[in-house]
Amino acid sequence: MRYQAWSAKSSAFAKNALLAAVSAASAGVATPARAAGTAAGTNITNVATATYDFPNGTPASVESNAVTLKVDELLDVTVVWRDPADVATAPGLAGQVLGFTVTNGGNGPEAYRLGTVANGGGDDFDPAVTGIYLDSNGNGAYDAGADAAYVAGSNDPQLAPDQSIAVFVLSTIPADAADGSRGKVDLTAISVTGSGTPGASFAGQGEGGGNAVVGATGASAQDDGWYAVRKASLAFVKSASVADPFGGTTQGPGAIITYTLTATVSGTGSLGNVTVADPVPAGTTYEAGSLSLDSAPLTDAGDGDAGRFTGTGISVALGSVAAGSTRTVKFKVKID
Amino acid sequence: MKIWLAILALVAPAAAFAAGGNVSLSSDVFVERVKPGPDGKPAVVREAPGVVTPGDKLVFELGYRNSGAQPATGFALTDPIPESVTFAGSESPGATFSVDGGKSWGPLASLKVRAADGTARPATRADVTHIRWSFAQAIPAGASGKVSFRGVVK
Repeated sequence: MRYQAWSAKSSAFAKNALLAAVSAASAGVATPARAAGTAAGTNITNVATATYDFPNGTPASVESNAVTLKVDELLDVTVVWRDPADVATAPGLAGQVLGFTVTNGGNGPEAYRLGTVANGGGDDFDPAVTGIYLDSNGNGAYDAGADAAYVAGSNDPQLAPDQSIAVFVLSTIPADAADGSRGKVDLTAISVTGSGTPGASFAGQGEGGGNAVVGATGASAQDDGWYAVRKASLAFVKSASVADPFGGTTQGPGAIITYTLTATVSGTGSLGNVTVADPVPAGTTYEAGSLSLDSAPLTDAGDGDAGRFTGTGISVALGSVAAGSTRTVKFKVKID
Repeated sequence: MKIWLAILALVAPAAAFAAGGNVSLSSDVFVERVKPGPDGKPAVVREAPGVVTPGDKLVFELGYRNSGAQPATGFALTDPIPESVTFAGSESPGATFSVDGGKSWGPLASLKVRAADGTARPATRADVTHIRWSFAQAIPAGASGKVSFRGVVK
């Protein structure tokens, strides 16, 4: 019973026993876990208390001296490429976006100098970096016009401990990049206060006037983001078969010609907005209701399905077609 | 009312005197850093730090001395783990621990931490809020000693 709660008399800001008991008790519950650690400039104070009895039974207590340590600023940073997979691109395209996340792993506010390396080797081609952009509107996606262009030394992103920012690197892909080849860009973030060997110290440059000490990351980090060229090509084959009214294959009035249009996409990736269109030949008349896609009939009207008869020919919108797939469109005409 | 005030006035100085006692307590903190030793190999050195950074390993050393003429019985030494420090063990035997701000005490293996959802899990070193040594033997007059524990800056 002599071991009173007020022996919990150690807290950085203890002014009296009561206050100390309250703050120490709440500390065990409320202190949030932070990756970056104790905030720079925090004091750590230790005071021990002893209780004992005099020979006559009178309880006594004694407090130790207080030892106070100041927590210095630790400089740490991480860079992580944030795209879920290689960013699909094509030769010669400009404005191809890679996303990165830069995180302050230190325990004080810090600004970071950003840079890119596109010719570091270990890949198939070197993207030409055209700009670094900061996620100004904080939505995690690149928005042309809304996200600020990064200028080294001018708008180095300033991050609180544990805070992250998305950074976008825009590149132009070389025109001669081969199908299936990969190219990388390395984004580097370096603490503006300083970087180098872990443990290196910058006197007086820490938050609150203390030192800034380089952490385990060396206060410099980088990660590679990857582009992959997905060059798909479309091969288009048209064939015709004739059925005359007498069971033969003679091309004459009344004979039906069936046209088969085969679209084959090869390479890697996919082709978007593929449309198959073919005019009805002169001297023939379109057979109503004869249009089909991969053997499934399509109506002639410009309605919900992919195909229609335009009055002069047929048109079938295939949309995006993945490499390696073949789509077959058929229709019939009658020779006038 | 006046009588009460008078009694309080008499008692208070006596209590203050008792609190002063004749056992003294000292607290020291060292940081353990790996540095090249005299033979060039990395060696762990203890330094008295002015400043630390998160992850630094600290050694808290508590010294006691009975400078009175009588033995001190029922001696108990309590140290709350500072808020920004994670307890990392003690080489001094006989310690008991609290993980709830000093309300309940016991060997660490016997303590539980209750989560917000009501479930309990065994306490770990990181949960320790207080460490205490309760001495079974009186400290003889003139005797002194030390206990220590370790911590890591959060």
